[in-house]
Amino acid sequence: MNGPLIVQSDKTLLLEVDHEQADACRRAIAPFAELERAPEHIHTYRLTPLGLWNARAAGHDAEQVVDALVAYSRYPVPHALLVDVAETMARYGRLTLAKHPAHGLVLTTTDRPVLEEILRSKKIQPLVGTRVDPDTVAVHPSERGQIKQTLLKLGWPAEDLAGYVDGEAHAIDLDETGWALRPYQRQAVENFWHGGSGVVVLPCGAGKTLVGAGAMAEAKATTLILVTNTVSARQWKHELVKRTSLTEDEIGEYSGTKKEIRPVTIATYQVLTTRRKGIYPHLELFDSRDWGLILYDEVHLLPAPVFKFTADLQARRRLGLTATLVREDGRESDVFSLIGPKRFDAPWKEIEAQGYIAPADCVEVRVNLTDSERLAYATAEAEEKYRFCATTATKRKVTEALVRKHAGQQTLVIGQYIDQLDELGEHLNAPVIKGETTNAQREKLFDAFREGEISVLVVSKVANFSIDLPEATVAIQVSGTFGSRQEEAQRLGRVLRPKADGHEARFYSVVARDTIDQDFAAHRQRFLAEQGYAYRILDADAVLAEDA
Amino acid sequence: MSTPDAPRSLAEALRACDDAAMVALLRARPDLLTPVPNDLTQLATRAGTRASVVRALERLDRFTQQVAEALAVAPEPATYGELLGLVAGDDEPDGVRDALDRALGTLRGQALVWGGGDRFRLVRTARELLAPTPQRPSPTGLGPTVGEAMAGMSPGRVQSLVTAAGLAATHDAVSAVEALTALFTDRKRMAALLDEAPPESVEVLSRLVWGPPYGQVTAEPAGHLRWLIDRGLLLPTAPGTVVLPREVALHLRGGRAHHVLEAVAPPVVAAREHRPQVVDNTAAGQAHMALATVEELLKDWDEGGPAVLRAGGLSVRDLKRTAVALDVPEPQAAFWVELAYSAGLLAADGEADERYAATPAYDTWQELPVAERWTRLATAWLAGTRTAGLVGGRDSKDRTLSALGPGLDRSAAPEVRTRVLGLLAELPEGAAPDAESVQARLRWERPPGTGASDLRSRLAHWTLEEAELLGVTGRGALSAHGRALLAEGLDQHSPSPGSGGAGTGAAGERAARLLAPLLPEPLDHVLLQADLTAVAPGPLRRPLADALAVLADIESKGGATVYRFTPGSVRRALDAGQSASDLHAFLTAHSRTPVPQPLSYLIDDVARKHGHLRIGAASAYVRCDDEGVLNEILADRRGEGLRLRRLAPTVLATPADPATLLEGLRSMGFAPSAESAEGDVLITRAHSHRTPPRTAPEPVPDGPPLPDATLLGAAVRAIRAGDLASTAPRKEAPTAAPGELPRTTAAETLATMQAAVLTGEALWIGYVNAEGAASQRVIAPVRVEGGFVTAYDHTADEVRTYPLHRVTGVAELADEAG
Repeated sequence: MNGPLIVQSDKTLLLEVDHEQADACRRAIAPFAELERAPEHIHTYRLTPLGLWNARAAGHDAEQVVDALVAYSRYPVPHALLVDVAETMARYGRLTLAKHPAHGLVLTTTDRPVLEEILRSKKIQPLVGTRVDPDTVAVHPSERGQIKQTLLKLGWPAEDLAGYVDGEAHAIDLDETGWALRPYQRQAVENFWHGGSGVVVLPCGAGKTLVGAGAMAEAKATTLILVTNTVSARQWKHELVKRTSLTEDEIGEYSGTKKEIRPVTIATYQVLTTRRKGIYPHLELFDSRDWGLILYDEVHLLPAPVFKFTADLQARRRLGLTATLVREDGRESDVFSLIGPKRFDAPWKEIEAQGYIAPADCVEVRVNLTDSERLAYATAEAEEKYRFCATTATKRKVTEALVRKHAGQQTLVIGQYIDQLDELGEHLNAPVIKGETTNAQREKLFDAFREGEISVLVVSKVANFSIDLPEATVAIQVSGTFGSRQEEAQRLGRVLRPKADGHEARFYSVVARDTIDQDFAAHRQRFLAEQGYAYRILDADAVLAEDA
Repeated sequence: MSTPDAPRSLAEALRACDDAAMVALLRARPDLLTPVPNDLTQLATRAGTRASVVRALERLDRFTQQVAEALAVAPEPATYGELLGLVAGDDEPDGVRDALDRALGTLRGQALVWGGGDRFRLVRTARELLAPTPQRPSPTGLGPTVGEAMAGMSPGRVQSLVTAAGLAATHDAVSAVEALTALFTDRKRMAALLDEAPPESVEVLSRLVWGPPYGQVTAEPAGHLRWLIDRGLLLPTAPGTVVLPREVALHLRGGRAHHVLEAVAPPVVAAREHRPQVVDNTAAGQAHMALATVEELLKDWDEGGPAVLRAGGLSVRDLKRTAVALDVPEPQAAFWVELAYSAGLLAADGEADERYAATPAYDTWQELPVAERWTRLATAWLAGTRTAGLVGGRDSKDRTLSALGPGLDRSAAPEVRTRVLGLLAELPEGAAPDAESVQARLRWERPPGTGASDLRSRLAHWTLEEAELLGVTGRGALSAHGRALLAEGLDQHSPSPGSGGAGTGAAGERAARLLAPLLPEPLDHVLLQADLTAVAPGPLRRPLADALAVLADIESKGGATVYRFTPGSVRRALDAGQSASDLHAFLTAHSRTPVPQPLSYLIDDVARKHGHLRIGAASAYVRCDDEGVLNEILADRRGEGLRLRRLAPTVLATPADPATLLEGLRSMGFAPSAESAEGDVLITRAHSHRTPPRTAPEPVPDGPPLPDATLLGAAVRAIRAGDLASTAPRKEAPTAAPGELPRTTAAETLATMQAAVLTGEALWIGYVNAEGAASQRVIAPVRVEGGFVTAYDHTADEVRTYPLHRVTGVAELADEAG
């Protein structure tokens, strides 16, 4: 009775990380518990029905779960919780989706009342066809995703044994000369391949592209890759050519400018969701080839129309990649039910400890507004308040001081408001990349930055994702999309590529004190704080004094 | 065995028994003792009363009841052999003799059976209660004896039965019955008789054999029934009804009175086995939880709990709210509330607006060591008659039973609880029982009466649930401390509600000693993290827990507690009088890890703004650009009464109203001027005082207003008519003196009226109204019908209707004079 785990009656599990058995315990509970927070001393896991069912799907049973909890628990595990675990896990597998030789896709049950119960649901009725026998009902093949999602919501998850189509075969191999998949990447690929479909969560800069490449090498089939923007599409292509047996000609780009469909096609979310006359003309890309694998980059940004279409793609293997599966719109569960359960998740600090991402020093710089600014802030309209305090002149001064402080290091200044960025660019004498910058211009500037020709780059939110800038060491965030947690994490991710000399990255967030900016900043930081990034707070006066 | 002087009555039997037996009897049947009987005859009489016997029979276990039932169908007095035959049948199962001896011992001890040696007699009342009658079938399913069934049968029919059964005719009915009984009780002859029976007849018998023994037959029974009826194997009881005589049924049953003999108590089966250590730890964890829940409940109600319903108890809404606050389902919330109430930790405050609140006992309870706190709760639960499981149900009058309300006491509760735990204690350590086997055992020990809702099994069900909640059991098995708690209760034969208090002593202490080491040691530290949370990896010492609960919000409870610091929670601590440095010191002292910087910043940031703005009440102020003048005012002693306070260099405030302040300052020789809300100087030139808009008063003339022409005309007519009535000369002098009402007989009145209708003449009438006031009126009748006259009343100048019976008399008017 001196284990590292404390099981709370509200189904959270608290793991004391400094405990000698902490590692063993972590391994024991990882299959069924979701890591919720990983700050420095106590990690919080949560038992959710989804997590327990995923564990069932991966072949764990209730006995194992109970044993793990009881074995590592410091205090007696509440009996009600154990009963609940057993009951929840017993709900999985009563319903099975399978292929029937005569009737195609069918839903069968081992427990007839359950089938009766769900068939009575109004949401299920339109998704199923004729009753084949008392225990079996036909399902329209196109509703495979929908019915799985609905059953999950009803609390009777279906085990999907209908399998995947192999798709059009295409030889893809990893070309591991001079490099190798890192152990956690290999593990992620394995977990994904074993599970069939799902989501892999890795910190920014931890090499998610290679996990994608690894998955493609396993599938050895035509692949559709969905990414956030064109720059990122080019990076994928570049990386795939470099790391796999694929050649330039085998990879097509499907974006606003080019419409190539090749064995491996990289498309942007934007082009897919372009709408003309009420229809999405480019969604047929999904059907344009017999894809064997569909890759979703930055799956937390998956737009709603793609969600809908993904529901119809349940027979194809799907892999979602993300760093932060937090959506401010709360649609995480849709990601899980449509793409697949989380197959791999590594806490940021753990990858950092292994040296694959740079350690980062996160600093919140608190700026005091001047009296006149405070007055103006107080009288600003409610919807203008954030913009006002996020773009104050004082912030600009502090930002300049910070840039000067890190002179010689590759520095990114990231912000939300174009006016502010333009002004900063002018004062810092640095180029600005924003929405209106052409792709060619962007790539030129990024290349110059990578080469060290430019040491300061001012970027808008276009650079939030997937922009690979390995040499960036310092990021200064001056404003953001209100309280977006994943944006904060993504921006930190810009500087997390391990540095050649191993020095640590610096992430500054410049925040106006005693304003709504500070409240948003607190919310933004929550995800990273829960990942164990302890923000240091610095007074702007100290920065300015140092500068003077 | 047989003694020469066998007792001839229960009283004699009681007289013969020793003091110990007497004590045992009175303990088993305490109702015999109130009031204390004068002598043994009285005791025996009382032991034979219906109410007492019913009570005693109800409290017997299943097998002893079966023995009593068997005795009730046996001949009186019954021999041991006869009884054994009835109980065990022809093929005697093992161990049945022992069980029978024990049962007889019980029955005898409880004065339900008496009689020496081999002559057992069931007390007459018990026999009447248990013997079968057509109205009340016996649990044995046996019918009346041949003798009983044939009483009142015609001699001729009796003789025909006897001959049909193959017996010699006898000279009277009595010997015939005896002969038939002898045949039916003789296994061999009976078997021979039944061998001849047609198969359908055997089928009929087999249907009736285990009861109910009555069957319907038509007036012309079929052949196979005829066969049975002719031989007396079925005897008529009423037209169309036949009964299977007891002797025949017993033959067919192989002598047994009961279909299923339940000689042995059904064993309690262990459903699962856990390591005793696991059980004890789980139970201890739950015990800790129970204490935390009760404390949380009373903390929640600390500043005035929910109101007491007028009918007593807690409203459904308050129970729901409490359940949400405790994060438990409602039935559980009811249990915790009732538990705290039973333990005397909460009660109604008895104020006019009655609410529930913690009692002073709660404060002393909180000071006790943890384990002892638990034993207080557990013993209160074990001995209490209040039954939380009933909450939400309805009583016999269909009123909802509310928590803490009336109607929740069930006297059987403590006994059932003790017994259920006792059964658990009989299992090996760490074994969790199969709930159904516990129920079966309880049903055997005290069979539920017919019809009554099975309260005891519900109580047992709740006991198992509540014991788990309370931590008496862990994973369904009785814990070591639960066992210790029980030890004392088991020694007593019938635990009364009072015994709990006494039992707290030794057993409680033992339980507390066993429990104490299993409970987690309260900690004096927490872990602070940079994401602004604090985790207490175990229960905290009370002062620390209380302080932290103010400073941070609780996010998760259980073995550990997770706190989150928010600006709101820090402000709460500052509001409670703590300063920022107090908070820093507090966190540094109790954190095992360095205080994270964001947390210090949070505290400092909130503290910096805390109290920055100050709010107060003042009713007037003095402002002056010249600080010197204000200094002067403050220094002036005459101004003390104004209670001026300096808010800023140029502002003074006072609770006095502006007029007083003006007056006061003027008297001190200053020349202040008043200021409007907008800051303008109020001109104090005598301001003409005006009312809101008002209308001028209406003139009030002396006397009534002048009448108008219409009114006057009407008045004149009325006066004239009245005059006509009083002065009109009468045609003939009525019997009445002048000024008196006219008097005529009813017939005369009616005739005159009807005549007047025809002639259209006016009449002079005397009339008495509903209040008894008499008046004279002149009327011109229009219609007379239904006892009413409708007439034009000259006096009132309108058409009215008068009941004829109120008209005293009538007179024609004299012709117009002159």
